[in-house]
Amino acid sequence: MKLLPAVSYVPPQYTSVNRLKNGFGLLTLALSMVTLLWVITAFSAHAAQDKFSFESPEQRESFLRLTAELRCPMCQNQNIADSDAMIAHDMRRKVYSLLKQGKTEQEVIAFMKSRYGDFVHYQPPVTAATLWLWAGPVLFIFIALIVVVRRKSVTPPEDMAAKLAKADEMLEREKE
Amino acid sequence: MKKTSLVAIPLVLFSLLVIFLFKGLFSDPRELDSQVKDKTLPTFSLPDLMQPDVTYTPEDLKGQVTILNVWGVWCVTCAVEMPYLTQLKNEQDVHIVGLYFDQDLDPDFGTKTLSRVQQEVTEMLSRYGNPYAYNIFDVYRDTSLDLGVTGAPEHFVIDANGVIRMHHIGDINERVWNTKVGPLYNKLVAQAAKAQGADAHIEVNAVMSDDKSAQGGLQ
Repeated sequence: MKLLPAVSYVPPQYTSVNRLKNGFGLLTLALSMVTLLWVITAFSAHAAQDKFSFESPEQRESFLRLTAELRCPMCQNQNIADSDAMIAHDMRRKVYSLLKQGKTEQEVIAFMKSRYGDFVHYQPPVTAATLWLWAGPVLFIFIALIVVVRRKSVTPPEDMAAKLAKADEMLEREKE
Repeated sequence: MKKTSLVAIPLVLFSLLVIFLFKGLFSDPRELDSQVKDKTLPTFSLPDLMQPDVTYTPEDLKGQVTILNVWGVWCVTCAVEMPYLTQLKNEQDVHIVGLYFDQDLDPDFGTKTLSRVQQEVTEMLSRYGNPYAYNIFDVYRDTSLDLGVTGAPEHFVIDANGVIRMHHIGDINERVWNTKVGPLYNKLVAQAAKAQGADAHIEVNAVMSDDKSAQGGLQ
């Protein structure tokens, strides 16, 4: 018995290369690609819009800003705009409904903080524990500056001339 | 003098860093300080999962120490802890109330019917045991959000006055019960009994004197 190679036969007139050979095929190909692109962009635009509709562009801006600033409590290091966890869905919905009720951005943040703590907001408040985030680098630079200044004044000025003379002497000795 | 400080300062800094990072090895990143601890329950008015015409409010959880268990049929860990919770209910008479919420039930689409949810719940409870006195159905997951729930399972220990005394994220197993949740629960139950005992003081006295006379009679 003879084994047949598993190749599907395509009639030459249907291959894309053949289509490209005549101008008409090229045109249809270009057209179909444009259509495809249009469909893709239309769909992605729709996906980005989610299912929220806003009364004003400002409200939309607030929503986008808040969902980017609020952190998902379930999935670490994702904001609720990025996350697909159920809690993030619910929080987005809550942010939306609170904005619709006419709450300000600060009120929405306070609402979330009262439930999930400071953790939920990507901008930590200045407290005794978080103060070091700001004070640390400044303190470091300050201390480093003091150390550098102190060191410079303490070290005696080097006698470059003497050193050069010594080096010359060594070179001379090598030559001999 | 200068040399020792040159060695000592980096050494101290390094050991501080090591201590800090070492502590980090054992810290749970999901552990958040709960915002609802020592607060009364947020207001809600939610239906019973099995009998939607029955409505619960925070008032219904007063008068008895309760463990409010946030769960759903889609949650694997909930299924794991369910037999142990059932055991707690049967052996120690622990009062457990479920706060049920469904993942697939998108309030904006209504993809799942209530009877379907009920059927799934009944199936799961018959398989793993039913630890719940009753289940509150958090339809829109608003109450979960108010409680600061991040997922399931989560537990709230609520005292007889309706104040949340503990928020435990994760399952309850034997170790967690014996070291963390159990001691507090038993303490709260004892407190509640004492508070009630003050009301029923005279009654208890009467019973005790009866007891004594009965014993006296025997002797």
